[in-house]
Amino acid sequence: MKTEGHQQRPISLRLRLVVLAVLLLTISLGLVGFALDAAFHRSSEAGLQARMESLVYLVLAASEVADDGTLTVDDDPGDPRLRQPGSGIYASVNGDKDQWASPSSMGVSPPELAQIQAGESSFLAPSSEPGFYSFQYGVSWELSGGQNLPLTVTILVDPRELEPEMQAFRVGLWKSLGATGVILVLAQLVLLTLGLRPLRRITQDISGIESGKIERLEDNYPRELEPLKRNLNHLLDTEKANQTRYRNALDSLAHSLKTPLSVIRSSLPADSSPKTVVIEDAVSDMQRLIATRLQRAAISTRRTMAKAVDVKTQVDRLVQSLARVYSQELINIDVIIDPGLAFYGEQRDLLELAGNLLDNACKYGAGQVRFSAQAIDPADHRAGISLTVEDNGPGIAEGEREKLLQRGVRGDERVDGHGLGLAIALEIVGAYNGEITIEQSDLGGAFINISLRP
Amino acid sequence: MRILLVEDDTGLQTSLSEILREAGYAVDVSGDGIEGLYYGEEFPIDLAIIDLGLPGMPGLELIRKLREQERQFPILILTARSEWQDKVEGLESGADDYLTKPFHPEELKARVGALLRRSAGHAQPVIELGPLKIDLAGQRVFKGEAEIELTTYEYKVFEYLLMHPGKVVTKTLLSEHIYEEDADRDSNVIEVFIGRLRRKIDPDGALNPIETLRGRGYRLNQQS
Repeated sequence: MKTEGHQQRPISLRLRLVVLAVLLLTISLGLVGFALDAAFHRSSEAGLQARMESLVYLVLAASEVADDGTLTVDDDPGDPRLRQPGSGIYASVNGDKDQWASPSSMGVSPPELAQIQAGESSFLAPSSEPGFYSFQYGVSWELSGGQNLPLTVTILVDPRELEPEMQAFRVGLWKSLGATGVILVLAQLVLLTLGLRPLRRITQDISGIESGKIERLEDNYPRELEPLKRNLNHLLDTEKANQTRYRNALDSLAHSLKTPLSVIRSSLPADSSPKTVVIEDAVSDMQRLIATRLQRAAISTRRTMAKAVDVKTQVDRLVQSLARVYSQELINIDVIIDPGLAFYGEQRDLLELAGNLLDNACKYGAGQVRFSAQAIDPADHRAGISLTVEDNGPGIAEGEREKLLQRGVRGDERVDGHGLGLAIALEIVGAYNGEITIEQSDLGGAFINISLRP
Repeated sequence: MRILLVEDDTGLQTSLSEILREAGYAVDVSGDGIEGLYYGEEFPIDLAIIDLGLPGMPGLELIRKLREQERQFPILILTARSEWQDKVEGLESGADDYLTKPFHPEELKARVGALLRRSAGHAQPVIELGPLKIDLAGQRVFKGEAEIELTTYEYKVFEYLLMHPGKVVTKTLLSEHIYEEDADRDSNVIEVFIGRLRRKIDPDGALNPIETLRGRGYRLNQQS
């Protein structure tokens, strides 16, 4: 498959659907509009024809033909518009010898049309020659002598007569069609929003998985999204299984390396010959690599749903354990923790962090250790916790502090004492978006503060 | 002092038991949790070193079972798991100390010595008994400034008595604690060791640090 250097993002579903809907609506509403327009036009023409026909009768009724064929038509056949010059409605009667034109034709000179046979009528739209609607009606006037005189009554109507009606209709038509279109597009938008809502929900749920708030997609989604949910869950399960496998493999590798290292160490002669020193150094290096590199990989894997861990309980466990280990030495550990203070993270990580710091304090302090913990934001107990460990030992020189923290991060330099414990602590702090600061305690020794924001 | 070592890695088993024997301990070795429990229940053990990843029965369960059986000897956990979660669980199950692999043999010996002293109620690694000064960590005995040379077995007998001050210690008990299970034991040998020990630490018989209770055994005299 070829990939372009710059790939354009596909148009959004919403935009696609809205643009298509607008196009489709314009075309279909346009066609409907034209059809309605034409139909209305035809029906107004039909109405006009009926009106013209009745005018013919009016004119005929006002007509009188003398026996010599002289035509007399009352100038007011009954429609005032026939009298008003230039009114747009013109009537004329044509006999063989005589003819009459309504007073309205004065100064207009409407076109003369050929006579037609008696008994016939013809209606012509203005597209044809005269530029008027014309209605002709042929009659045969029975004279007293038994003769029949053919007459043709012609009504001409200026097409502008129909225009106001058509105009009014068109304005109304296009207004209502436009309103219909707007309503349909708005309805489409509402439908889209409602229809795409499950997609938005699934998106939120997926980001919830990412941030560790939920573990799988458990919500009910519309039937169409169920396959997507199933596949995503399957993917998540596979990924989790892979991660567990990876973690376990690293873990067992880390631990199974330690026993052979112990064998090497305990098989070394108890002297300080160059050979012993070289082997001892190599074993120490490997031990450090395992502690920082291999075990770090297990720490930094993604965390899942974190339950609240009671800080006081866990620290008390640690203090009791340390009391057992350091029972020959007189160590006093003061624990100051707000009751109910909770840590939203892995219990293992809290124990590891506090354990390393407390162990360092017991080891390097002179018997006085203080451990305190509180919420970073008392109003929001999920915001994180702050831990402080202090001792009355020699402390950490100001120049050493920065170096110690950096060393821990790299983990590839020879670290000992405070270093290894701090290196492990730093890994955990990093995994929890935390911070670590080293200061001088009022007890006299090191003051190490750690904030964790799980 | 008799130590039970429960460790399934044969390489480590061999080298550790050698180191401990060199340090003057009697060592019983097991590579399996169930067998380890049997040894712990049946043998007069003074201290157990238990690996956590054992076949047969996990180390933590072994420790819990031993504690349920009221075995009070100190237990040192030996494990590749260095996380505090595991340390805390190990110590909560009844162990007294924790050593993570890979460890220095010197560290192991120091922890074992410290645990034994602690269980005998000695906070300091040096015990004073009248003019005698016993350095338990260095396994040396001084009278004033002069060091008294003791053989391994003489020291073992003396150390056992020091760890059980004021209590009557029978010859059988002594031989059980300084010899391993499959060793040839002869209680007369104990009498010989006691005799030689007395001559070395108290040649003029003025202190009488080790009393003989006829037919019952020996007792360390703290008043001397």
